[in-house]
Amino acid sequence: MDLHTLAAGLAMGLGGIGPGIGLGIGFSKAMEAIGRNPEASGTLFVPYILGLALTEAIGIYALVVSLIILFAT
Amino acid sequence: MVHVDIAAERLFSIGPLTVTNSMVGALLASVLLLLAALWFGRRASLVPSRATSVLELPIEFLADIVRGTGGTRWRRFAPLVFGIFLLVANWLSLLPGVGTIGYAARGADGKEYIVPFVRAAAADLNLTLGLAIVSFVSFVGFGIWANGVRGYLKELLVAEPAYMTPLLTPIHVISELSRLISLSMRLFGNVFAGEVLLATMLALTTATLFLLPLAFVVPGIFFVLELLFGLVQALVFALLSMTYITLAIAEERQHSSNDHSGESPDTAAVAAEHGSA
Repeated sequence: MDLHTLAAGLAMGLGGIGPGIGLGIGFSKAMEAIGRNPEASGTLFVPYILGLALTEAIGIYALVVSLIILFAT
Repeated sequence: MVHVDIAAERLFSIGPLTVTNSMVGALLASVLLLLAALWFGRRASLVPSRATSVLELPIEFLADIVRGTGGTRWRRFAPLVFGIFLLVANWLSLLPGVGTIGYAARGADGKEYIVPFVRAAAADLNLTLGLAIVSFVSFVGFGIWANGVRGYLKELLVAEPAYMTPLLTPIHVISELSRLISLSMRLFGNVFAGEVLLATMLALTTATLFLLPLAFVVPGIFFVLELLFGLVQALVFALLSMTYITLAIAEERQHSSNDHSGESPDTAAVAAEHGSA
């Protein structure tokens, strides 16, 4: 069994759980806030994009680790 | 399977300097921006024409965000410059010929693969790390400029209740240093993964004749995704740099009771109006 491939798969697979849940929760809260107060979407946009990118970055770190495992060792 | 290289491939050497294909890509991005600046600058007038008003849309959008989130106004040139350059560097992988036109080389396992002449500039960790270092130096520099070296270090190393200091100091220092890594890795990961994704989707749909009609649709979808992600990542890099700078400057002033540094200029102006009326 090739441990490299297994490691790369596990890195990305397990590393995608957290950001997925986090992004879903964040987006649902943003939608709730907009539904409650449609004029808030302008104020909400910038902090939401910021939060989105910060959370997604964790998933990107997992992707980079798995790519390094696959292609650089 | 597609051959991907995390490090940018070396094209040729000028003396001790190696020129990699992502450097060529960054040069291409700069040339494109210069040409656009020259072309639009020639048409500048008080009443914007159709072409310049199209360009003013994203600039106004960014300027509004910077004015609202940032503090005083003159600091807006840095994030805008970051964002615009990164945008072109992020979107380079979508131009025809980037990543596809190259020369053939033989890999370690004997299979042939292509070394492209031009690679998306932000798909090289060197570029993103360099930009992250610029961002780091600028927010440390602004913190020192605003609060003095003692003020900046005091904010960083001393916590409010004195007994929490040995606990919080390493956390503060590490969180400030990790901004370097997170900024560079975020941009690199997004652009590089986008490139790999596009190449993989193309390779998948052109593998058999049966899937060939999909080869026009599926990479097109990922193309749009790459466009969106390039835009979002450039925006996020610029916004985060600006947020760090604002945090570094406003840290000292948070302890005063009449602090208005976190509010946008509009609400501060309204508050001043109500106060004087």
